[in-house]
This record gives sequence, C-alpha cells and structure tokens, in this order.
Amino acid sequence: MIKNNIESLFTENLPHDSAQKHVNGKARYTDDILEPNNIFYAAIGWSKKSNAIIDKINLDDVIKSEGVIDIVTYKDIPGRNDVGPVFDGDPIFPKNKVEYFGQPIFAVLATTNELARKAVLKAKISYIEKKPIITIQEAHKIKSYIFKPKQIHRGSPNIALRDAKNYLRGNFSTGSQEHFYLEGQICMTIPQEDNDLIVYSSTQHPSETQQIISKMLKIKNSSIAVKVRRIGGGFGGKETQSFIFAAICTLLANKTKLPVKLKIDRDDDIIITGKRHDFFSEYEVGFNNNGQIKGLKINLYSRCGISADLSAAINDRALFHIDNAYYIPNILVNNYYCKTNTASNTAFRGFGGPQGMMVIENIIDNIARYLKKDPTTIRKNNFYKKNTNNITHYNMKIEDNIINEIFEELITSSRYINRNKQIRDFNDKNNLIKKGIAITPVKFGISFTKNYLNQAGSLVHIYNDGSVYLNHGGIEMGQGTLTKIAQIASNELGISINKIKISETNTSKVPNTSASAASSTTDLNGAAVLNAIEKIKNNINHYVRSKYKISIDKVKYRNNKVIYRNKIFNFNDLIMESYLNRVSLSSTGFYKTPKINFDDKNFEGRPFYYFAYGAAVSEVIIDTLTGENKLTQVDILHDAGNPINENIEIGQIEGGFIQGMGWLTFEEVKWSEKGNILTHSPSTYKIPASNDTPTKFNVKLFKGNNIEKVINRSKTTGEPPLMLSMSVFFAIKDAIASVGDYKIIPKINAPATPEEILSSINIIKKNL
Amino acid sequence: MSSKIKFVYNNNIIELENIDPNETLLNFIRNNLKKTGTKEGCAEGGCGACTVVLGTLKNNKILYQVVNSCIIFVPMIHGKQLIIVEDLESKKDLHPVQKAMIKHNGSQCGFCTPGFVMSLFSMYKNNNNYTEKIIKDSISGNLCRCTGYKPIINAGKELNNYFKPDKFEINKKIDIELIKKIQNEKKPIKINYNNKLYFSPLSIKELLLIIKNNPNAKLINGGTDLALTVTKSRKDLNSLIYLGNIKELNYIKENQNNIEIGSSTPLIEIEKFISKYYSDFSEILKRYGSYQIRNIATIGGNLGTASPIGDTLPILLSLNALIITQKNNISRKILIKDFFTGYRKTKLKKNEFIKAIIIPKNKSYIFRAYKISKRYDDDISSVCMGINLNLERNIIRNIIIAYGGMSEKPKRATNCEKYLNNKNFDKETIIKSQKELLKDFNPINDMRASSEYRKNIAKNLLLKFFFEIKKNKNIRIYD
Repeated sequence: MIKNNIESLFTENLPHDSAQKHVNGKARYTDDILEPNNIFYAAIGWSKKSNAIIDKINLDDVIKSEGVIDIVTYKDIPGRNDVGPVFDGDPIFPKNKVEYFGQPIFAVLATTNELARKAVLKAKISYIEKKPIITIQEAHKIKSYIFKPKQIHRGSPNIALRDAKNYLRGNFSTGSQEHFYLEGQICMTIPQEDNDLIVYSSTQHPSETQQIISKMLKIKNSSIAVKVRRIGGGFGGKETQSFIFAAICTLLANKTKLPVKLKIDRDDDIIITGKRHDFFSEYEVGFNNNGQIKGLKINLYSRCGISADLSAAINDRALFHIDNAYYIPNILVNNYYCKTNTASNTAFRGFGGPQGMMVIENIIDNIARYLKKDPTTIRKNNFYKKNTNNITHYNMKIEDNIINEIFEELITSSRYINRNKQIRDFNDKNNLIKKGIAITPVKFGISFTKNYLNQAGSLVHIYNDGSVYLNHGGIEMGQGTLTKIAQIASNELGISINKIKISETNTSKVPNTSASAASSTTDLNGAAVLNAIEKIKNNINHYVRSKYKISIDKVKYRNNKVIYRNKIFNFNDLIMESYLNRVSLSSTGFYKTPKINFDDKNFEGRPFYYFAYGAAVSEVIIDTLTGENKLTQVDILHDAGNPINENIEIGQIEGGFIQGMGWLTFEEVKWSEKGNILTHSPSTYKIPASNDTPTKFNVKLFKGNNIEKVINRSKTTGEPPLMLSMSVFFAIKDAIASVGDYKIIPKINAPATPEEILSSINIIKKNL
Repeated sequence: MSSKIKFVYNNNIIELENIDPNETLLNFIRNNLKKTGTKEGCAEGGCGACTVVLGTLKNNKILYQVVNSCIIFVPMIHGKQLIIVEDLESKKDLHPVQKAMIKHNGSQCGFCTPGFVMSLFSMYKNNNNYTEKIIKDSISGNLCRCTGYKPIINAGKELNNYFKPDKFEINKKIDIELIKKIQNEKKPIKINYNNKLYFSPLSIKELLLIIKNNPNAKLINGGTDLALTVTKSRKDLNSLIYLGNIKELNYIKENQNNIEIGSSTPLIEIEKFISKYYSDFSEILKRYGSYQIRNIATIGGNLGTASPIGDTLPILLSLNALIITQKNNISRKILIKDFFTGYRKTKLKKNEFIKAIIIPKNKSYIFRAYKISKRYDDDISSVCMGINLNLERNIIRNIIIAYGGMSEKPKRATNCEKYLNNKNFDKETIIKSQKELLKDFNPINDMRASSEYRKNIAKNLLLKFFFEIKKNKNIRIYD
C-alpha cells in the first residue's frame, strides 16, 4: 500500500459553488440567460429516412408558415459545411443525400419557439430510398467501415492458445447508451458589431465550437466568442454533438443579423445526436487451471454510425482497456470500425474504456464458471503485479498499481466471502427468486490519448482590493470542477474562497482549450491556474525582496497573510502596495501533462499519466419467472488519490456507478430495421430513477496518494467510477448461473434487461 | 361564464383574461412570469425538471400537489395556488428543503434540482415523517443523471430534523382565503383566444349544454396524454372542455357490494382508497406513473384513452368493472369486457362521456395484479396482468384473467379462462392452460419488449399467481 504521507492541502469539503443557486432556481443555464428583446427562435427539419437521396425538397409551406422569417439550407453555408471534429463526415446540412434518420436538412427562424417547431413539420421532401446498414453485423458483412481495421498484438497468442490447458470461445455484446443530460442541446447567438458573434452554447468544448463556426462562416476565430457558465450535464454528449446546433444557430444569426436561440426538443435531441458505441466481440481464450490467461484473441467491432466523429480515439480507448486490471501475456485484437446508417456515435463517460473492459470481464467470468471457481479468485490470479507482470499490452509499465490492495480491502470490508455463502444457501432453498453477487475491479488510464490535447490555459487577475478573478478552459457540467479549481486558487493564495470569483468559460479569456473530457479537466486546468498564480506571486515576490531587502525563497500564503519568515503582510495590503508600486497582478497560466508519449503507429508507449483504480461488490435479486431484478447492495472502494474535495468525489462515484448500472441493465437504445430510432423519449428510454438506487450503498475512498505530481496528489473521479457498475452485470449473471446450479455458463449480453435475463434463464432451463 | 383565469400566486390573485388555452404552464412561468428556475427537460411529463406545486383546497386544508408544468395548460390551474422554486426561500432564509439539499450535496449539474426541490417540498408539506420509501416514491417522477439519487434521498431524510413552520404554513390562512374567494365566484369558464375555445363547466348540466353546442370539442381531465398533441405533435387543440372542476364527476363512494368512482377522480385518490380492498391494484397505481402524473391523471381519462398499455385497464377488466356513460340525458351501463373495441377505440359514441366506474368488491374472490416493466418507477408495462379467482374447495369456479401489453387493446384471456373454469387448481392444469394463452394473444414486438418475451411472461405470471396462492405468500423481488 502506498503510504498516505501527504497531508491534504484541502481541509474543507465545500459544497458545489452553485449549490445555493441550484436549489433556489437562480443558476442560469443557456435557456435562462436574459434574452435580447428582438430575439428569434429556430428549429431543425430532419431526415425521415436513414439512407436516401433527396429527390425533391419543397419548403414553400415552411416559409409560409405562421411566424417564419427565414430559412437556411446547405446553400446558405459560406464555408465548411461540416462539424466533424477531427475528420470530415458530419455535414451541417447535406446537399442531396441523407445518411441517417434524424439528420438535419434545414432550419427555420420564427417569432416563437412553438411556431418554428410547427413550421419545420410542413416540409415536403421526397426521397429515393436505399437499403440502410443498421447493425454491426450488417456493416461487417459488407465491410462497411469508417477506417481500415486495426490490429494490435503482443507475444504469440496463437501458440499460447494452442498450448494452454483450457480453451474457451464465445461472443459478447454491450449496448449503446443515450446520454440523457437533463438540459437538452441549446445555443443562443447574438451578433455584434464588425460581424462578430457571441455564442452561448451548452457545450463541453467551447474552443472547437469557435473553430467550427469560424470555418463554416469563413471568419476568424478571433471574431467569435463562445461562452459557457455551466451546462446541465454533458457526459460526453456535448463534447462534439453540440457543434451542429451551435453551427445552425449561428448560421441563422449571421445570415439575419438577429439574435437567435435554438433549443432542441428532447425527442429531436435523442434522434439527432450520437450515443455510446455499442460493441460486439468474438473471443478465443487459453488459460491454465488457475484461470490465468495465457493467450487471447479478440475481434472487436464497434458501431460508429455514419461518420468518424471521435470513433478512432474511442476504439483506441477500448483497446487500451481490453486488459482492465489483468496481465495478458499474449494477445491479438482486430478492431473494426463499423459504419452504419445511424447517428454518429460519440463520446460517453468512459469513452470506449467501459466497452473494452466488459469484454475481458466477461471472459474472466466465463473462465471461472468453466473451472467452477469463484470469479473473484480468477480475477485475483490474473491481476497485474507490482514488480512482475506489470507491462501492459501497449508496453507501458504500470508504476502505481494498487488493485490488489483495493480488492483485498473490499473483500474484507464488504464481507464478500460470507455473503457469497449466504447467497448460495438462499439459492439452494429458493426456486423462483435467486440472488447473485460479484466483485469487479477498475483500472482506468488518465490522459487524453491524443497527446496534444493534454494542455490547458488559465487567466488569473488579482484586483487591487484583493479580490481574485479566476478563468480557465474547464467546463462546469456538474462534476464540480469550478469548485475544485477555486479551492486550489484559494488555497494557493491563502485567502477565503469567497474572494475568488468563479467566471464563465470564455474563449476570449483563455484560447485553444481542450474539451472538458477524459476526466482531465481539473488536473489540467487546475495546474494551469496554479501556474498563473505562481507567476503573479513571483512578481510580488520580486517587488518585496527588492523593497524590503529580504532574501527568502519560501513565502507562505496562509489565512489572508503573506509570510516571509519575520515579515508578515496582510494579503489585501500587500496587493494594494504591489499595485501602487506598479507590479503586474494578472497572469495567464499554462500546463502540459509531463511524461506521456505514445507511438500511435506501433500502439506502444505511455499514453497515460497515471491510472485510477477501484472495485465494487454488487448484490442482486432476480425473479426467474419474469426476469425482473433489483440491486440490493453495493459496496465500493475507490481510489481518488488524496482528494481535493471528498464530497464532490463521492458524488461522482455514486453518480457514475448508477449511470453505468443503467447502461448495463435496462437502458436500451433500439432502432427499427429501417434505422428509425425507437427510443427517443423518457417514456421509451429509461434511465435509472430513485428506486433503482440501492438502500445499502456504501462508498469509501481508498487511502492513498497519486504517485504522480497531480495537485494534492489527487486523482480524478470523472469517468472511472462508471465502470464499477460492471459488478451489477456480473452479479446478475451469477444469479442466473444459480438456475443451472452453477454448472452451465449463462449466455447473457448487456444490457441485462428483464427480457435478456429471462431469455438467458430459459436457455439454461432447456439445457438442464 | 367568465373568460378570466384566476389563481393564487405569492399571496395574490393573478387574473388572466382570455389566455391561450394551449399555453403550457411551463411556458407561462418562463415567458410571462419571467422566472427561469423551472426547467424544460422533456416536454412530455417524463423527467420532472419542470415540476411545480399546485396548492389545492380540500376540506379547508391545502394539499400541495406536484405536477409537470410542461403538460398542464394554464387555464387548468384556475382556483389553485401556484408555487414554483423561486417562491420557496423567504427574505432571509432558504427553505428547509433547499438547505437539506445543499447540506447533502444533492445537486451536481443542477438542472434537475429545482424539480427535485419541488417534489421534496410537496413531500415535506404532505407528510410528517420521511422514510426512505416515502422519499424514494416522492422523487420517483424526477430524473437525475448526475447524482445517482443517494444524496437527494439523504436530503429527504434530513427533513426529519426540521420542525419550524415554513413560510407557507405561516401564510396558509391568507392563501386559503384567496383560493376560497376564487372558488366562491362559482362561475364556469369560457375562453376564446383567436377562436381557440376552452370551457370549464362546474356541473354535468353545464357540461351537457357545452357539448351540445360544441360537438367537436375534446374532453380533457388531467391531460397527461392529450397535452402531448400540443407539446409533441405540435398541433392545436382548438376546442377543449375541462372536466376537472365538475364536482359530480370527482368522488369515490361505496356500498356493501360496490365501489363507485367518478370519472374525474385522480388516480392518486383511487390508489389510497382501493388499497384496503385490492392492495395489488394500489401497488400498480403507484407504479402507473409519477406523483406528478397520478395527481392529475384520472380514471376516466385512462378508460377513454383505451391504451393497450394503460395499467388500470387489465385490472379493471379482471375485476369485472362496469362503466357508466352519459350522452345528452341518456345514461347507459357498459360492461368493461365489452368496452374496448380496438386500438385506442371504445364503445363510446360521439359526445358520450364516461361518468363513473363501478368496481365490485367480490370478497369471495382472490385478486392479484402484476406489472412487468424495464424500470420499476414510472415505466410503461411490457405486460400488465390482473387476475381474479373464485376458488371452491380447490375447484376453479370462476377465473378472470386480463392483460395489457398483449394485444392492440386491454383484453381478457377468454380461451384460457374457459379452459380453467371448473378444473382443479393445480400446477398441471395451470401449465396446460398456458398454451391456451397463445390462442388468446399474439403480441407485437416493440421497443419495450419482444412478442416472445411478452408471451413468456404472460404464461409465467399465471404460474406465479398459482404459486403465490398455493404458498399463501407473495413471491416478489420488490417489497
């Protein structure tokens, strides 16, 4: 165990900076910003076909519709007609072909939101339909791929498979997932003088919003300011999926020179935007009698939808996490990027990581059931070790491994062994209702895997009254990053957090920012803020040393004091004094993550600065007649390093867990054969609700430090906890296995809906 | 008739003259009151972000009921007190609910938070102690994608520690007086907004006259289904008759043999009343929809909509209920088994309306009901089943089995019933009778469930019922 040898810099677990405004309704989201008097409202008309040529398009009735004042199509785009973040492929409005059900074709501007939405329904569009490709299997069959398939490998998997004592093969799939941020996609653009634009967008990525609009309108980045105070949830769904709405809104505003708001209806939001990639895998695994994997071959298919979007990086992350916490000496993975006529799948908390991890967790679970051993033992037998078996399949040495310690501690604290026994006793006595339990680990790599994204900027002013203005590139989407970074600034300056002004993210303040994504927002932006403060302190220090002839390097900022061993200043006094003596009290800051480097071509190197770890035990009860199920207890032990704000981290862990549970249990995105998405509203797509949260829900932080120099030796908790929910899926599988007295390996895919569970049970019953 | 809508807001009476009857309360709050704390999450009553509280006067007390402001039309709040999230704090202090939410880190992104605050506020006002079950049920119509609910549940528990009267308690007398003042006017309402008509009669007599003069008007009660015509299909409802203010349609009464329920009675009241007779019925009503929906959705609306997935319908079928309708001055009685004629179609003739439903008490029968859905809370059933059995010395004297989700309409399993009647109540018979179900039903595949799964659970529920009766205990995973 890594000793907890650092005292936390942060003694107060402050609430979210906006907590009070959240509860009294005063927190403003994009739709709540005071509208200019002459604002107009937009709505999008979208494709009713998933693969078709637009034969005729007649918008006469749309234009004539009550309240409509203008309309835009592809013809109105002066520059780049694409919102693809890395690659092209996501037209704002297509010229003559539509490639998915829901693809925007045109937009209108009207006097009210309701009239705009009514108007778009009046379009008369005739299509020449082509057969759409909807499923992974359909795409793979005809080699419809976004990119060439990719192969990664280490060692000699074929030989290892041949020589291993035991062998299993099978396939497995995980489902898609709708983000269902509570605040739907929205943008408001207000034209300025010189044809400049202010864009209020609910986005995780203001800089790229700015760049995409700039290319669309052929104007300079510097003419566009994108502003975001907070967003009502993102989860990856506003990393790139917000762009098209910002683009369309701004296109209308720029064309008409009027303020425009584009607020997307929930159904349209789900229909138009991409979701989590669903994955399908085929595997062959060879292992010894202890369940240790000797060789592994996987074909890994993902449904990318119609365009590249972030699919390359998402599939990469799946490949990076196909080991989860396990040492796999010989491995080969073929990765296929299936192109389908569905909305372009995109970032979603975990970013391919969860999908990769589920593949290996399912294999491990099957190995255990094959060997008739407790899966917990097999997991432990395969863990990476400290000094041996510590090189990943992408040739990164794991230096911070704590999974063995976390697992042991959780097994004890959750009374796993006892409960497991009780559950087996219960199952012996009950035929219709069964229980199951599982413990699963998480090891998640932290950093953007595209190296250039691992940078951040900040801007800090200290005004001469001692108040501080804080700005950086991080987006507040509920994860508390603004609170944590304000805590960092407050701590660094030794002043109360009330003196720190948290400000909206604004591309005019800090340029060229990365998305708030990859769990890295606080790590990167917090460090950039530290850097800015350091520079201001240097300025002050320089002044103090020459004025007071002090030659001390160590200066402490504590309790509103600035302490030079014997000479102590009041913070406010020193700031005013510095100002009067012409010291610069404002600075930008910058940070780039050290140590990381990765060779994309050979798929090796160090893509991650560090790993975050955790483990969870879930216990479920299922009804073998209906497939209904309930999560009855969860015990989590998670690694947040030495946390900045324990309450916020625990909130991330609980919330991430429940979100992951939804993904793996009853959240189910469905399409018709023709590619129409069928689950586009809260009445057909179900995210977890209050009664899905278990009454016994124990979350603890593992005591330890980040061995890397992250602020306070903390670790991020953004994405990693989502994957703790894998334990729910395998607890369900455990309960199903009891139906066959643990002799038959259940065949079940995610999501484990009641229907999937019942079908899995019925297969076992038939084989009894 | 009056063309003014009046309601109580912030200790004042607000009057609106000829307001658009298709204007949602949410849009009114955001665009006219210019208060943006109430959020639009889905515009169909499925997420709770737009939750507000309506104070309703009952027995000289104010009931603080949550509703989804996104699917309630402004005129429907006539005679009520409107409370939105901005109203909760007093001059110097946050409301206990708000304090508890902050203390327990109940918000992350914060967008759903005002809705949760309002649901917890309603719970706080309408209950005296706040158990985990009460809390979870109270917020089950509010979705949060960030927190996983635990801190919000903890905030609910924290309310057990607050005792001081809140500002609504202090102002209660004024509010009651104001509501009474509006109600005492006793005037029916007629709105004409650019030829969009809205009527709110106070008696059946007035209703009949309005129907006669406006034969194409649509009847609206809670509107939880109909309002989506405006918010989702983006069509106008040009002529509406609101039934919610007709006292003659809102009642529950009973005699020795029957329970009679007025068609405008909200489901929430039925759920409370019926539990002593048919506890499973009550349990299913709890899962029928959120509090926001059950507070306004009515039994008459449920019957009239005749949705194949309306959860009350298979249950009423199994209970052999009787529907009382009226057209002009003629009232008739229709057995519920004859009432549903096709997909969202009923025996109701044009301008005929449902007045009441009569549910037999049938004390000698054994009744159970089951609802299978993906999510426990507020989800539409894959299959819903009501079953009612008269057993004499282990002989099935009469059995009524009805399903929702298995056909284009709520329907009885007549072949299966016929097979079972007068047979021994044993496992072998039940298993044989399962085959008969396939003659009764050929369900569809849709986003909720496959045909195969529906058939499977329809069969298995029959078996489950058998085991439960034989073992004399419920075999269920939910408490």
